[in-house]
Amino acid sequence: MPSLSLLAQGLALGVLTGGVYALLASGLTLYFGVMRVVMVAHPAFLFLAAYITYFLHAVTGMDPLLTAVITVPLFFLLGVGIQRVLVARIPQESLAMMSVLLTFSLALLIEGGLGYVATGSYRSITVDYATTSLHLFGVAFPYDRLIGFGLAAATFIAIFAVLRLTRLGKALRATIQHPDAARLVGIDTAKVTGIGFGIGLATAALGGAVLSIIDPFFPAAHWDYIGKLMAIIVVGGLGSVRGAAIAALILGTIEAVVQVSGGATEAGLMFYAFLFATLLLRPQGFFGGRLAERF
Amino acid sequence: MPNASSVRSPAPTALPHLPRSVPLRIGLGLLLVLLLAYPWIAPGGYLRYAGVLVVMYAVLSTSWSMVGGFTGYVSLGHAAFFGLGAYATGIGVVTLGLPHAAAFVLGVLVVAVFAAVAGLAAVRARGASFVIVTIAMVTMLSLLAQDMTWLTGGSAGLQVPGAVAGISRTGNHALFFYLFTVLLLFALLTWWFIDRSRYGAGLKAIREDEEKAEALGVPTTAYKVAALTVSAAFTGAAGGLYAMWFGNLDPIFVFSLVLGSSMVLMALLGGSRYLLGPTLGAFVVAPANEYFLTQHGESQLHIILSGALLFVVVLFMPEGVIPAVQRALRRFRPQSASIREQTQQELHESRGAAT
Amino acid sequence: MRDRGPLVTSLAAFTLLTTLSACSTPEDPTAGAEGGAAGTFDAGAAGLEGEPVRIGISMPLSGDFSEPGIGVRQGYETWAAMVNESGGLLDRPVELVFRDDASDPNKVVSDYESLITQAKVDLVFGPFSTRLVIPAAEVAESYDMLFVEPAGASDEVFEQGFEYLFYAAPAVASDHYDNLADYIEKLPADERPRTAAYASLDDPFAQDTAYGLKDRMEAAGVETVADEVYPPGTTGFTAIAARIADTDADLVVGGTQFEDSVGLVRGFQELGYQPRMAAFSTGPTIPEFEEAVGGATEGIISPVGWSPSADYGQNADFVARHTELHGAPPSEDAANGFTTGEVVAAAVEEVGCAEQGRKCQKALADHIRGAETETIVGPLRFDEQGRPQSAHLIQQWQADGPEIVLPDDDARTGDLVHPKAEW
Repeated sequence: MPSLSLLAQGLALGVLTGGVYALLASGLTLYFGVMRVVMVAHPAFLFLAAYITYFLHAVTGMDPLLTAVITVPLFFLLGVGIQRVLVARIPQESLAMMSVLLTFSLALLIEGGLGYVATGSYRSITVDYATTSLHLFGVAFPYDRLIGFGLAAATFIAIFAVLRLTRLGKALRATIQHPDAARLVGIDTAKVTGIGFGIGLATAALGGAVLSIIDPFFPAAHWDYIGKLMAIIVVGGLGSVRGAAIAALILGTIEAVVQVSGGATEAGLMFYAFLFATLLLRPQGFFGGRLAERF
Repeated sequence: MPNASSVRSPAPTALPHLPRSVPLRIGLGLLLVLLLAYPWIAPGGYLRYAGVLVVMYAVLSTSWSMVGGFTGYVSLGHAAFFGLGAYATGIGVVTLGLPHAAAFVLGVLVVAVFAAVAGLAAVRARGASFVIVTIAMVTMLSLLAQDMTWLTGGSAGLQVPGAVAGISRTGNHALFFYLFTVLLLFALLTWWFIDRSRYGAGLKAIREDEEKAEALGVPTTAYKVAALTVSAAFTGAAGGLYAMWFGNLDPIFVFSLVLGSSMVLMALLGGSRYLLGPTLGAFVVAPANEYFLTQHGESQLHIILSGALLFVVVLFMPEGVIPAVQRALRRFRPQSASIREQTQQELHESRGAAT
Repeated sequence: MRDRGPLVTSLAAFTLLTTLSACSTPEDPTAGAEGGAAGTFDAGAAGLEGEPVRIGISMPLSGDFSEPGIGVRQGYETWAAMVNESGGLLDRPVELVFRDDASDPNKVVSDYESLITQAKVDLVFGPFSTRLVIPAAEVAESYDMLFVEPAGASDEVFEQGFEYLFYAAPAVASDHYDNLADYIEKLPADERPRTAAYASLDDPFAQDTAYGLKDRMEAAGVETVADEVYPPGTTGFTAIAARIADTDADLVVGGTQFEDSVGLVRGFQELGYQPRMAAFSTGPTIPEFEEAVGGATEGIISPVGWSPSADYGQNADFVARHTELHGAPPSEDAANGFTTGEVVAAAVEEVGCAEQGRKCQKALADHIRGAETETIVGPLRFDEQGRPQSAHLIQQWQADGPEIVLPDDDARTGDLVHPKAEW
């Protein structure tokens, strides 16, 4: 049995890591929400962003988090482009399945492209604030994860603000809830869907920047995140931004607590145990509720 | 929809239902002869080795299309069934001391039971969740196989002794070439029967509109689980043969998402709704992979190329090359006839216009 | 399927493709030579006459193991260049034929099958990563090819009964820390670590290194207070680090590759854990390590098979020529590649042959088994199963970079600092 202080430390790390997972998974729920698309390439885009961050940092000396000023708009446009030019080409009746394959091919292209351009070498960014911690009550809160947590919170607040307070958000929510009805009331759903996709990919730019300061990375690293992030969005309820955030926090916490008390393999298996339990007990997800009631 | 006609087609009357047209029979016969002669046309170790891999991929993509083609459910996780079949067979030989054939049967059974159970969870959720479950199966089994060292050998791998003691390496390749070919023929036969059965019609109805199919009385859940089980059993059988042939199993390589995606690519490229489509896809993609590996193997181009190929197939010919070629042929062949018709018609019209 | 159109079409295409794939695609014998050219390293053999000695090598140039794979490849290239500059092998130029295995065992076997039976190379060298060595060695073994390899060091490799396999480095994985274990055992009781924590990647090589030291420490009475194993693909090491940190062990041992060594060290820093001694395999010997841990390297111990400053054989020439060829000083992986070349070259020159066939290849293997070869890692001898019989050096990061601190002989460049500085 782990000591109380170790459990507290595991809990703290888990919540912070859960926040980072929430940031990494937030885009996935948006794609699914606006288009019912499972974007397998999202982790690959995270690492594409990490590489861009790395090179911007290495060449210009910019702070890795500051590079988001460049990468976020870039990824937003990229996301709109991918939706309008590629995903929209797939016929509606086969969209759910074929979009998975399309995005899988994008993941391979990104991995191969990164390997080709940047070689398979490990890259890492070290900033002086990333290897120290805030110590409170004998528990260490690493600054890099605090930053990730903070960015995740800010991203979610921003997404909610957009969805709740703006006309675009209204249109987005309408498109998510009922695309046909939205079209009937005069919403340009094609455009709105593109924007939703763009926002989703923009979160990958932020997530990539956070990943780049937390761990070393290499082109094939995205495979390690696919299973986890997919489990999170199913447990949270596909398409629910809030559900995914809650699921990410819970699963991140469980992972870390199991890691400090059980073992790393058991911790990894937790994601899949929860995934299968969710599908058997409550296929629509634990926190999502009905699609129409989300947001 | 190419399947519209087959949905209506009645169940076969005679069982070994050979195609009636003569060129087709000759074609099939020629193909089989060519396949059976391959190890003797290509006696070298590498060519035989690559031949085994190609036929193995043909089995895998054909098995995949028993779910992907009939029901339209895309599984990215068939590597889970492949790996489980390989490990169950390997453990049967190594730990339980079973004869190879018995271990193989055990492997297929284990996979079928696993697929039936996992299938119940997977098909409860339609569409997207299904894909996610299949992805999760692969990563989960990889973790388990890695962790259960006492059973699987863990990261040190499981060394499976060959099926025939003292056989030469090239002889072993030839043996397994034939074993995989038999499995392929068996898989194709199964596919053929499903395609022509009421059951197959039900699966296709699920693909076209699951809600309507259910309303019309198709027991969709049972059908889907059964399809997944049959498909998984063949995939597991291929895994079992692989274990005995390759002789070395490593969790992170056997349970690989990339392996699962290659099956999908091959099936789609050839045409997952056609009997020989997945086989065709395997016969194109697997040799192409080997070619790029041996000729341009010093760069990462091959990852980019397989990504690009999948990209093109999904966006531009999701039905595969068979209908694409067919369309091209139709445009080409009847054209010589239709040109005259059109000319006559045009003549007629111009005459009519003149008068 | 009532409509026979698709069946006919697919049959036609299928037959065509079968013919194609049978006849041409998987490479005809000549294609090996030409196509191989894309992956060949022509090592400035201008002055040499005669048929080249062609050596086939599969390397992970992409995928999980590509990083260390590149180092080994560069080492092979430096070896070939130096051999060709000094008269070749049996007065013939050396030509290396590389294939990418994408860190995938099916492809490794494809590579060696095609190198041996299609490209008909005269010799083969081993690939990188323990996980790929066994399937590859099986191919070499069944075609009677000498298989000297730079990477497969875990116990299983030598338990397969291979006749042609030799590991070209000073010691197998479980003996990598022998010199450190000797040192710790000799420490006065009050300086010796009392407790030790182990964290290892679930990988045969990484685990063998950590557990080799663990066995020695437990025998010497050092209590094991944590023994963590994490699977490949683990992301985020802080929680694992927390568990280790919680034990406050005197000695921490990481059976690591790269990203996990970095993750653990960063995690320990964040948690404020200061062990008296810290040892990690592989990671700290990779050039990117220092930057990745933000300079917090001081005091970290690693086993190394080779030292750039050691006074063995052609070591000085190797370092100079390698730096010249590749623009950077050699890594340990590069040295392993070079050593592989040296072991094979010595046997070829002594036996006087370099061609396929049991007669020549067995003679080469027998020679290596019986002889002592002078290499850049010192004189190498092998046991019956191909295990090298020397010992790894122990490196410690100090203020001016990595120093060789053990054993206490000519190769040593500094004193082991214990307890280590804080990170």
